[in-house]
Amino acid sequence: MTPPPRQVVIVPCSGIGKTYGTVSREAAYEIVENLRSAKTQLVALSLLVLGDEDARAAVADCPAVTLDGCKLACATKMVKESGGTVAQDFAVLDVYRRYRRFKPQGIAELNEGGQKLAHALAEEVATVVDNLTAEHAQGVEKNPSISTNSAVSAVNGAQGGDDA
Amino acid sequence: MPEVLETTVDKFVFRVATDRYYSSEGVWVAPLPQGEGEGAGVRVRIGLSDFLQQRSGDVAFAEIKPEGTVVATGDEVAVIETIKVNISLTAPVSGKVVEVNPAMATAPEAINKDPYGEGWLAVIEPGDWETDRARLLDAQAYFVLMKGQAEEESKKP
Repeated sequence: MTPPPRQVVIVPCSGIGKTYGTVSREAAYEIVENLRSAKTQLVALSLLVLGDEDARAAVADCPAVTLDGCKLACATKMVKESGGTVAQDFAVLDVYRRYRRFKPQGIAELNEGGQKLAHALAEEVATVVDNLTAEHAQGVEKNPSISTNSAVSAVNGAQGGDDA
Repeated sequence: MPEVLETTVDKFVFRVATDRYYSSEGVWVAPLPQGEGEGAGVRVRIGLSDFLQQRSGDVAFAEIKPEGTVVATGDEVAVIETIKVNISLTAPVSGKVVEVNPAMATAPEAINKDPYGEGWLAVIEPGDWETDRARLLDAQAYFVLMKGQAEEESKKP
């Protein structure tokens, strides 16, 4: 029997009132709800800040992909401070530099450019998730004692892929 | 790192390098050491002040007028797109653009990281440096102006 694929934690920016933070969250929702629902779990940055045990366990047990809205890189810093491993961090501004035609505007509601940028970011993250889970699957085949991540499904305050 | 004048407004620290001149817009102008040989004229490097880059936000793109472009004082010399705004920067001196910082094409975030160093925009060969210099602010004068602008900004909701 093939074990379920390892999950990846997605931690977006939780900043308020900034367009790029909104892009990061929209991208995160698209990943965990649509693109890779079975392989990903959203962890709320605020729970890590609060020291929530389940959230800390999730980032401790699973590789994390962080989506930062600005150079303060709060998501990346908090995952590291919570004992997690950042497999890859994305800064929305860097993504925008690759997709200049998608200029984001709006905060509560993104314009069309912002929605497309969020989608482009989500697609890039999905590729990273695929690579991470593929690596894990290979590791499981070589070493059947590697466990899957039970902690991820127990995270409060976040929704994500539990349909594996 | 040049010597700087420094002020704190609200929670922000703003620095003004003392070894150069400034336009009231916040574009710095630093004369380069003159080359040797006959006909070697003054060349100046330009860039954004620390206050201007902080107020404008993280830079996404910087488009500088290409080498060979002749600009008059007040002409657009660069467009800086940040996460907040698009800024049209005007030339602080008249002359010819003779060099553009190649980093601006690939890593314009240098403007934010090192506004007085690696984040320079271009080198201009002024047509009449003495006249242009007389119109610019020295570091102390710009520091006073900038501090007032920063304090005004901090009062905005």
